[in-house]
Amino acid sequence: MKGRSWGIAIAVAALGALIGTVQVTGSATASGAEAPGSTVTLTVGLQQDLDSPNVTAGYLVSSYELWNLQYATLTDKAADDFATIPGLAEEWTASEDGLTYTYTRRDGLKWSDGEPLTAEDVAWTINTSRDQEWINHSATTANLTATALDDRTVEITTSVPDPKLPIMDVYILPKHIWEGPAAGDITTYEALDGVGSGPFTLQEWKPGQEWTMVANPNYWKGRPAIDQVVFRLYTEGGAMVAALENGEIDAAHDVPADLFVEMQGRDDIVTIAGEQGGFTELAMNGMQGGLGDGHPALLDLNVRHAVAHAINRDELFERVALSIGTQRDTLGVSANTEWNPEIPEDQQLNYDPAAANQLLDDGGYLDTDGDGVREMPGGGQKLIFRYAERSESSQSAGIRELVTGWLAEVGISTEVSVYDDTQLTDVIAAGEYDIFVWGWTPFVDPDPLLSYFTCDQVTTDVESPLYNDANWCSDEYDALYVEQNQELDHARRVDLVHQMITLFHNEATYVVLYHDADTQAYRTDRFEGWLRQPAGVGPVLFSNTSPTYFNLRPIGAGSGGEDDDMSTGMLILLIAGGVVVVGAIGYFIMRSRSRRDEKE
Amino acid sequence: MASLVLLIGFVILAIITPWITDRADFNAINTGDNPTNHPPDGDYLLGTDRYGRSVALQLMWGARVSLFVGFAATVLTIVIGVLIGLTAGFFGGWIDSVLMRITDWFLVIPFLPTAIVLAAVLERSLWTIVMVIGITSWPSSARLIRSQVLSVRERLYVDRARALGAGRLHIVGRHILPNVTPLILASATLAVPISILTETTLSFLGLGDPTEISWGGMLDQAQQSSAVTSGHWWYYLPPGVAIMLVVLAFTIFGRALEEVLDPRLRKR
Repeated sequence: MKGRSWGIAIAVAALGALIGTVQVTGSATASGAEAPGSTVTLTVGLQQDLDSPNVTAGYLVSSYELWNLQYATLTDKAADDFATIPGLAEEWTASEDGLTYTYTRRDGLKWSDGEPLTAEDVAWTINTSRDQEWINHSATTANLTATALDDRTVEITTSVPDPKLPIMDVYILPKHIWEGPAAGDITTYEALDGVGSGPFTLQEWKPGQEWTMVANPNYWKGRPAIDQVVFRLYTEGGAMVAALENGEIDAAHDVPADLFVEMQGRDDIVTIAGEQGGFTELAMNGMQGGLGDGHPALLDLNVRHAVAHAINRDELFERVALSIGTQRDTLGVSANTEWNPEIPEDQQLNYDPAAANQLLDDGGYLDTDGDGVREMPGGGQKLIFRYAERSESSQSAGIRELVTGWLAEVGISTEVSVYDDTQLTDVIAAGEYDIFVWGWTPFVDPDPLLSYFTCDQVTTDVESPLYNDANWCSDEYDALYVEQNQELDHARRVDLVHQMITLFHNEATYVVLYHDADTQAYRTDRFEGWLRQPAGVGPVLFSNTSPTYFNLRPIGAGSGGEDDDMSTGMLILLIAGGVVVVGAIGYFIMRSRSRRDEKE
Repeated sequence: MASLVLLIGFVILAIITPWITDRADFNAINTGDNPTNHPPDGDYLLGTDRYGRSVALQLMWGARVSLFVGFAATVLTIVIGVLIGLTAGFFGGWIDSVLMRITDWFLVIPFLPTAIVLAAVLERSLWTIVMVIGITSWPSSARLIRSQVLSVRERLYVDRARALGAGRLHIVGRHILPNVTPLILASATLAVPISILTETTLSFLGLGDPTEISWGGMLDQAQQSSAVTSGHWWYYLPPGVAIMLVVLAFTIFGRALEEVLDPRLRKR
């Protein structure tokens, strides 16, 4: 009796699995088959939806990719090294005092809807974004005033010396579309108009499924070779990788690390570990905002150094990050590597449990009651640190298991709490943690990330959290910050930034564990011309200015046919497999039935 | 019978695990030299995961957590269920109405979303999971016990005891409780697999205690390290099979117990 019902259960399960597979392959055939002369579509798989197509409201990485494609900027950045190159502006001149720049736009510029793109659009975008403090513009435009001198020239004046100029990389919006929304609350505008000046413009957004961008015939470099780009969403990395491997999508962003490593051996897929300066850090509560209840031991620099010495960053990089990215112990402040200093050997905080124990012993943090956990000097509070981690990161668990194990070996105990990102933001703002593990991704200019660790950014009101999440700051750092922010000599500014990063490293309020990489992969059989930004180390997609898309060319003409053959082959294989499975099930049922007969 | 043997086997294994194995053996800081994602062989009976940790060891230690949560949550469920069911059934009247409306309210709120919300809001620990399961799954046993109490309290010997001047506590303790005990036992046995499955679900969703390894937690980690797509079946199949076996064994045993205790359920 039991035997038979089991047989049926297995049969049903197997049939279900089979039907599921056939359906998946079926849809692959439908989307992969292309009639000659039809539209050329690049399909990119990713796991993060747009938060808003409205550039004054959204802030997610996926939305930046949309704007990078839809809106051209006055000055562009070279794909290789972020060098400033002409964009909508073909040339610019600086005044003697370096406070005023005059940009001349290219001739004959048009928006994707055919309207002329003029200096007035530029001036309107800069002035309105400054006045209304648009989140993705105001960091650049806060001190700027723009005046359209005529149809083609715009004059931009800054009220303070600004080393970032003449770079003018804010998205220029079409005034004729945005003037209306800007009269009210601009952030509530849906921004599905799809009017832009970049190589592709938004055609359709199906939240949770995909969004489609079509080639802009009026793009100033010419019409792209690809007709449309589809960004398809996957809820699970494994499904996305499967889609890439069987050709449903042409490229994938944010591939799970384990699968990324496995794909490295394939010859039809190229894997890219794209670095943009993003890093993962272990932060310790510096308690300088007066909020919260961090562990008093963390106020002691030697304890922070001991924690840093207890952590084997090499092993974390190899075993948790699977060696994807770079081993680096300093803040990543820019996608451009020139801003990374080398820490002198005698200041490095490398894995050295003996040194960690020595520092703690010397500081009087002794384990007097023999329970394996040290206490504050003179007894009293134990060195038990609250350790907060993110549930959203697949690396959190591995980092935690290793780090808490190593800390236990030097006599520091931990209490682990897991939070989602919103909860963790609240916990950090309230200062109710001792240690947390999270990360940052910088822009090209180092200024924004450096600003996060100034005293101005220490949260003093839980209701309005600021950026300085480790609650550490110093006058020396702040002075250097102001200096680099107005230093017009590039070499000197680089030196100042190096000093700041070294100072921050030596304070060990952040132990930078490693620099992460964007794990991406693309198929080699359909498109060529993938560009890494910056050259050699950066990602091909979701980079700072996303130059890949315009550069891609479809390979040959017969690629669609090959896809068909493969799908048909797989279908035959599946049907054959299905016949075998059904046969086996039938045999199984027959056998169990006959066995039952024998029993009865 | 086989189910009972299986259950006892699992429980014994869970109890003796700390004596025959060392928890530190699969702490990631000690597994750096082990092969990673290694298929099962003589050295590693069920293979290793991406950090080189033995899956067999995790499975044994995971049994402790899964069974502990299963039992503890069941105890909580039954205690709440018995208290409410007994009180409502015995006293009747407005007490019954109030308690049953509360029960109804708990009965209609969707179970899994509530459990997820509670587990997400509260601190992540084993006791939270136990509490979440207890809070969300007591209403059905309360209803069941109340209905039994309603029929028992109308029996003649209860009336006689009352006539002889027995107090309420005496009647409940001596006459009613013994008569609903078989029902409590059976429904407790059937509540264990539900508790284990709920623990597994919550842990798989990443809402379990991060510092303890449980079967659901193993499935979560297997998912996090893309074991299914990579074909590392030895990582997700053993906890899956273990959960299935334990749940099945409990269910079969619970049904059998029900039949023994309630002759009307026995088939010819």
